[in-house]
Amino acid sequence: MASEKVKLPVNLFALILFGLILLSLQLMSSATQESSELSALYSWLLLINSLGSIVLLTLVGANIYTLIKHTKKREAGSRLTRRMVSLFVILALAPAVIVFYFSMQFLHQGIDSWFNVEIDRALEDALELSQSSLDQRMRWHLKQTQQLTKKLEDSSENREALELENLRELSGASEMTLFSRQGRIIASSSINPGDILPSLPDRNIWLQLRQNGEYIAVAPAHEEKLMVRVIAKVNIQEPQYLQALYPIPVRIYDLADSVEFAFVRYKEMKFLRHSLKISFSLALSLVLLMSLLAAIWVAFISIRNIIEPVKQLVKGTQAVASGHYDEQLPVFAQDDLGFLVESFNEMTHRIAMASDETRIAGIEVENQRAYLETILANLTAGVISFDASYNIRTANQAAYRIFHIHVNQFIGRQLLDLLKDRPELTEPLKSIQRSLEQADDIWQQRIAFLGPNGRQELLCRGTPLYSQEGLRVGGIVVFDDVTDLMQAQKNAAWGEVARRLAHEIKNPLTPIQLSAERLQHKLADKLDAADAEMLKRSTRTIVHQVEAMKEMVDDFSEYAQPSKKETVDIDLSRLIQEILALYALKSGVKFKTHYETGLLMVNGDSISLRQVLHNLIKNALEAIGAEGLIEISVHRVQKNNTDFIELALYDDGPGIKDDQIESIFEPYVTTKTKGTGLGLAIVKKIIEEHGGAIWIDTSRKVGAGFIIQLPACHPEPL
Amino acid sequence: MLIKRGLATFFCCTLFLLLAFTAYADDAATEVIDAEITLHNDHYVVSADMVYQLSKRATAALQSGVPLFWSIQIKLLQPRHLLWDKTLFTTEIHYRLQYHALLNSYRVTNQNSRETFNFSTLYAALDLMSAIHDIPLIEKSKLSLKEDYLCALKVKFDGDLLPLPLRPLAYIDKQWFLSSNWTLWPLKK
Repeated sequence: MASEKVKLPVNLFALILFGLILLSLQLMSSATQESSELSALYSWLLLINSLGSIVLLTLVGANIYTLIKHTKKREAGSRLTRRMVSLFVILALAPAVIVFYFSMQFLHQGIDSWFNVEIDRALEDALELSQSSLDQRMRWHLKQTQQLTKKLEDSSENREALELENLRELSGASEMTLFSRQGRIIASSSINPGDILPSLPDRNIWLQLRQNGEYIAVAPAHEEKLMVRVIAKVNIQEPQYLQALYPIPVRIYDLADSVEFAFVRYKEMKFLRHSLKISFSLALSLVLLMSLLAAIWVAFISIRNIIEPVKQLVKGTQAVASGHYDEQLPVFAQDDLGFLVESFNEMTHRIAMASDETRIAGIEVENQRAYLETILANLTAGVISFDASYNIRTANQAAYRIFHIHVNQFIGRQLLDLLKDRPELTEPLKSIQRSLEQADDIWQQRIAFLGPNGRQELLCRGTPLYSQEGLRVGGIVVFDDVTDLMQAQKNAAWGEVARRLAHEIKNPLTPIQLSAERLQHKLADKLDAADAEMLKRSTRTIVHQVEAMKEMVDDFSEYAQPSKKETVDIDLSRLIQEILALYALKSGVKFKTHYETGLLMVNGDSISLRQVLHNLIKNALEAIGAEGLIEISVHRVQKNNTDFIELALYDDGPGIKDDQIESIFEPYVTTKTKGTGLGLAIVKKIIEEHGGAIWIDTSRKVGAGFIIQLPACHPEPL
Repeated sequence: MLIKRGLATFFCCTLFLLLAFTAYADDAATEVIDAEITLHNDHYVVSADMVYQLSKRATAALQSGVPLFWSIQIKLLQPRHLLWDKTLFTTEIHYRLQYHALLNSYRVTNQNSRETFNFSTLYAALDLMSAIHDIPLIEKSKLSLKEDYLCALKVKFDGDLLPLPLRPLAYIDKQWFLSSNWTLWPLKK
């Protein structure tokens, strides 16, 4: 509605201007009539119409310029406007030009048809006839006047005035005057007694008179009549001139006047022929030009009004295409285009609503996805999902913690690509890949491999993923690191065994030992020497074996007991130095130590940790024999944002066989001929009870190497 | 922006046309060759001589029966500082010149006095219009002795009284520029 209010004055202005143009053209058309009162305004009207044409031309030019500019900018609706305007101009111009051409033809031919040689000659002949008639009359009057001068020559000077009156009446002249040679009036007679002063000849007449001696001419008289003026010389002693004015009969005058009027009019028109053509052509051209320009200008305004809703629609469509779905267009009119605009508005409204709903749903889905990702990321279990081609799609943080591989960097690649850096995972990953590809339902398997922190055991569960149509779209594998769990279970089992051994075996050992000693004591004297000797040996054997069994049971008892009894902050480097001091006397064995600068503190039971170091050094010494090198290094490491003190102990002995590496820390596993096989099991138990880890450094090819990591302790500053 | 440019073009064209007209006006066919103001019975009167020169087209039009009109414009002006001159008195003498085919003569009509004069030659007819004698201007008593006055005289060819088809051409055709320039001379007291 607002736009209509704005446009109304423009349309009103156009109508007023159009009306003024028509009025001006009508006035100019009327002014071209010579008799019209407007003819005096012809020049002004011509100027006004020319200025009007210039104004219209400027308006049309401005519109064309704007249209070209809009077309170059590819503005909405500009091309349609250009087409419509071009069509309108062609439709308007073609008939107008044809009409104009033929109008000009008719105009020129019409004007030319007014003139022809016959009329021209006839009018010239008529004029010549009139002149001849007057000439004849003039000659007759001259002859008559010459005769009168003869009479005057005969009359006396005193009677000249009277004679002049008689002669005038006799000749039928209206006035007769006698002049002296100098032009003085001697006598005069007039048909009208009221005329005091006679008609006087002018200077030119006198000149002719003096040259020719006589003068004759037709001259206009009063009341627009003609008269013949004749002056003849009176030859007397003092020459005089007689002037006679003869009236021309009214009928002859009227006829001559009519002929002259027609002749002059025709001649004037003939002279104006070219100008007339130009003038009419100019008027016609101006009318056509103004009409065309006004029509084109009004066409521009009308087309602009028609195109406006289309333009708005194009802009609206572009806005919708660029994602502005809430675009609403103003409805200009309740016509077809208005209906189209309303439909567009309804459509955009619905699209906007649908878009909002989709956006909200998208946000919800995204939130849920983020929530799930958060859950997955924080799961302790590793989760890896695969697409239909078994390429990795997602992997959570736990997968990295378990495999020590940035699985996220392998998204879009095959699972077996992980093997590039970790060849020890070949068998487990191939097994997973096999299950992933072959299993049709949920599957579960345990896999074990030697990780950087020693042997790791994983519990893998996987399931293929199916789409709603039942197509296989991928799979998912969840794996838990159950190393600690399994170890704990084993430790618990061994602890139970040790406790039972201590309880069930140790108790009967003392009575056995006492009974054997009693037998020795009671029977030694009663038996002969040989038997007594055999008894003695047997009894000693029993006692020794019982002692050995006691030791073994004590070891088990020790294995079953918790090692972390009293924890204190321990400087590991100092502890190592104290223990090594005990082995310094051992000739042939060299110790090489390396400690990182600074305090290397751990929190733990110093007795237990001493036992760990004793066990490991003893093992190393037993392995290397009489001569060898034992290297010990202690330094700080950081793992999973936690500081650890890492102790590495290497010897240059025969090393550990590959088949024993996985079970070396289990009870009753030993490479030595002597010993209970509990040494390394106790070491591992103590280290784990201190929150640490121990594993064999498989990368070392010479001798055996053990790596212990214990949580670093940061003592409070004193 | 476009309207401004259009207006600028329009004004440039108008200026060019005006300059062209001025240039044509400099070649005016009619000239005021002499003019004087005399005191006659306590009245200032003006007398002047002009020379008319008709172009070929104007002569042809006259010979074809087209009447030609001139007006001799006389003004008494009082110059003013920073303002246009004040017109104290103005008068015009209108002449009509027409050829009579029947009598082969030229008729001059003084439209102020309604007097008609017939001449057998064009030269004689123009000669009549070439002089004005003792045209009264103003009484001496109405003028201040302290002020300066100017008298202005121009022979203006009246193109608006030509036949209608000739009028548009008369505005642009040099052949129809038959007016004189304004001639100014001081009034001597």
